[in-house]
Amino acid sequence: MKKKMVMIAVVAALGAGASFQAAAQAKPEQLVKQRQSAMVLIGWYFGPIGAMMRGDRPFDAAVVARNAGYLEVLSKLPAEGFQPSTKDEKTKAKPEVWSDKAKFDKAMENMQGEIGKLAQVAKGGDMGAIKTQFGATGKSCAACHDDFRMK
Amino acid sequence: MSEPTRAVKVWDLPVRLFHWLLVALFLFSLLSGKMKGNWMEWHMYSGFAILALVIFRILWGFAGSTHARFSSFLAGPGACLRFAKRLLSKAPAYVAGHNPIGGWMVIILLLSLLLQAGTGLFANDDISIEGPLYKFVSKEMSDRLTAIHYYNFNVMVFFVFTHVAAVVFHVFVKKENLVSAMFTGTRNLDAATEVPAARFASSWLALILFALALVAVYLVVKRPF
Repeated sequence: MKKKMVMIAVVAALGAGASFQAAAQAKPEQLVKQRQSAMVLIGWYFGPIGAMMRGDRPFDAAVVARNAGYLEVLSKLPAEGFQPSTKDEKTKAKPEVWSDKAKFDKAMENMQGEIGKLAQVAKGGDMGAIKTQFGATGKSCAACHDDFRMK
Repeated sequence: MSEPTRAVKVWDLPVRLFHWLLVALFLFSLLSGKMKGNWMEWHMYSGFAILALVIFRILWGFAGSTHARFSSFLAGPGACLRFAKRLLSKAPAYVAGHNPIGGWMVIILLLSLLLQAGTGLFANDDISIEGPLYKFVSKEMSDRLTAIHYYNFNVMVFFVFTHVAAVVFHVFVKKENLVSAMFTGTRNLDAATEVPAARFASSWLALILFALALVAVYLVVKRPF
């Protein structure tokens, strides 16, 4: 029994080490791909909610709740791709991402918080409440795009 | 400075309504564009309305009252230079309609508004909203037009500031009642100012042209106002 526990601990430690290793050794272009992919997916699941809120698509509470649930996970992904090693990659990230990292991190957290709230509200299925939180979430996206993303 | 002794009607009702509606919608567009979030939907509608107004003003520039017509106020470089000299001298600079330089400002403002509203139709914010014509262009093209939408915003604001600064100069330095004239339609001119015979077009014609502009915009954006 004790031996088995040790085994599990060793494997877990190795696993954690391996994934840490992967992130640390990831090539800048892979990191860029990681964060851009995450952003594409966030847009993919966020956009249809907006279309429903504006009446461009029929409101479907189940789809909104599903998308918002995905978004809650997706929102946590892009931050990982913003490693200093990607500084010189040709992307739309402004130099301020690195020169004002604290503000950038705060903006990222802010977006995650708003999306978390959106996922909560979406479970309720109340369109009015969802629309309000959708607007707040959109603002948190825009705030970061304005300051840290080239046009 | 010779005293203004004559009250002359220069701006017809459509021009005045156009001007102040545009001011209101411009400010609303600016604010809603800054507020983002759910305000973007209203930003879009405001842009459609501005587009209709600008189209109307262009039509009115051909079919409207004398002082609204482009042919009546577009002047060559010589006239602009002479007017600039008069403006900077102590002499009065009364002109019945748009002065030669102000006339070009009208064109610049209309074109920059047209560019702004036009690029907005194809724009996307990479978050949740797209202009009604986004679907007809590639994402790359939309991004490029969106960038123009952002940059032209600054250009437009620069010209609006210049326009307002010029009006302030006319009102306080040249002692002309430009702002009240844009409300009442009547300007105070001095005896020496040449006042060409002006013909005023019917406001009903303006209403028809504006309705046509609205329909044209609706057919393009396929969205109710």
